[in-house]
Amino acid sequence: MSNQDAKHVPEGTPERRLSRRSLLQGAATAGAAGLAATAIGASAGPALAATSRPPAADQSHDTAGTHAGPIVVHVRDARSGDIEVFSGTSQTRVRDKDLAARISRAIG
Amino acid sequence: MSSHREAPEISKDPVADSTDVYAFVSPDKPGSVTLIANYIPLQSPAGGPNFYEFGDDVLYEIHVDNNGDGRADVSFQFRFRTTVRNPETFLYNTGPIQSLNSPNWNRRQTYDVTMVSGFTGRAIGTGLACPPCNIGPLSTPDYGALAAQAVHQLGGGITVFAGQRAEGFYVDLGAIFDLGDLRPFEQLHATFGLPALKAAPGVNATNNVNVHSIAIQVPVSALTRSGHPSIGVWTTASRQRVRLWDADNGENVDSGPFRQVSRLGNPLVNEVLIPLGHKDQWNSLQPSDDKRFERYVTHPGLAALLPSLYPGVFPNLAALVAAGKPRADLEAILLTGIPAGIIPGFTNFTGPVLADMLRLNTSVPPTPSAKQSIFGLLGGDAAGFPNGRRVTDDVVAIELRALAGVTYPLIDKTFKPDAAAGKLTDGLTPASVHAPYLGHFPYLGVPYSGYNEPS
Repeated sequence: MSNQDAKHVPEGTPERRLSRRSLLQGAATAGAAGLAATAIGASAGPALAATSRPPAADQSHDTAGTHAGPIVVHVRDARSGDIEVFSGTSQTRVRDKDLAARISRAIG
Repeated sequence: MSSHREAPEISKDPVADSTDVYAFVSPDKPGSVTLIANYIPLQSPAGGPNFYEFGDDVLYEIHVDNNGDGRADVSFQFRFRTTVRNPETFLYNTGPIQSLNSPNWNRRQTYDVTMVSGFTGRAIGTGLACPPCNIGPLSTPDYGALAAQAVHQLGGGITVFAGQRAEGFYVDLGAIFDLGDLRPFEQLHATFGLPALKAAPGVNATNNVNVHSIAIQVPVSALTRSGHPSIGVWTTASRQRVRLWDADNGENVDSGPFRQVSRLGNPLVNEVLIPLGHKDQWNSLQPSDDKRFERYVTHPGLAALLPSLYPGVFPNLAALVAAGKPRADLEAILLTGIPAGIIPGFTNFTGPVLADMLRLNTSVPPTPSAKQSIFGLLGGDAAGFPNGRRVTDDVVAIELRALAGVTYPLIDKTFKPDAAAGKLTDGLTPASVHAPYLGHFPYLGVPYSGYNEPS
């Protein structure tokens, strides 16, 4: 599987420039990709709202721009609070130690 | 199959595994280019009751670079949708399927096509029907006519087809992956101290199996820039970053942006040239990133192996390898296109950016079938591989011969290829493919039916 997360790509590299194209990739797949997965519960709301999303060029969006359906959260590193959040064909990355700790506690 | 199961990760994901890419000026419609990307390798025609289908969860794309930077300028995106008419039967079909809207056909696929030019995407086809798989004389009694109904005219001179086809690529996989054995020459193989072998005819390991093809025919003018007739072509498949098994509903759910998991331009590059430890990464990158793999093209491991596998047969190649000179001939064929002035009257050079793309000079007219050489450019036929790739081109022999040094004189006229280099073959020809190729779109043959194969 690819690991070409735009977030990890330095400025000016081919991958970063092409992330503009991935916007179209998201547009072409909206609707067909309205699947989602695990919901993390209400606690995610305030934490996510408090974070700032990366610049648009670092993301892929579905054209609806909504987050209907559940959201998938991947805690990459609980210690640093490095979290990826997926919904529809979008992803964003946040750093929230408190949220990571609460998720870690929730799963025991 | 020039790229089937070529990398560890994608070998576990056949629905997203690209097997071959073809690009050629349409012989029966010379103002257009036909692009074909095959997926889902080695389909046993009898593989029911859940017959093969495209992945609803996969984004399939065919890309065209027309300015030589190794990035897509025009892309065609394909998304599939499966519907089940009656979930209360285990049957794929409940009677003969004689039309694409037959009520007897229980599990069917449709697809949407989006054309992306620059940063503008435009839906050019929606809800297009795929044909069913070829099951047998009771279920799909006139398969050729049925599949012909799934050739769709999209407007703007674009024609599209997506569905099962007979595998058209011929290769003796069983021998080649048995330590580089070429059956017609196996009496010369080193055999690693084991008893000597006798020369034998090639065996087409990909005979009587099917693939799923995405074929699109597009006016040349929609793919090229004025005054620049050469294009680079490749296909990719992408999956969303997250997949979870929803145990409550018994299905996978996907989320997140799409990321590339499969790539294919020139045949056999990832399969034969890229080392095992880099194949998965290669699949995830774009052609514009291929400079990092340059050394595997300019110093190919297989060229170094041939003199060892066939002792005494390739002394000149052995000397070339020992000299450590980079194979600029292979770099031109596979990564930049062949510059003007190398082969009289021919070029498919797209620029200095090293990028694995199937390069096609669209200004080269199709060669009449009676005059075609399956060895393409090596056979003096400029309309064949590596100027694009036709469905009948013998890319195995062409690449073997090139690796063995046949094309090195293009950049060093003092080099004399070994006599055996120009004769290398796995012993197969288009006649080794049982299902006849078509003389018209989508050119690959009617798929083998499960009733008849295996026989």
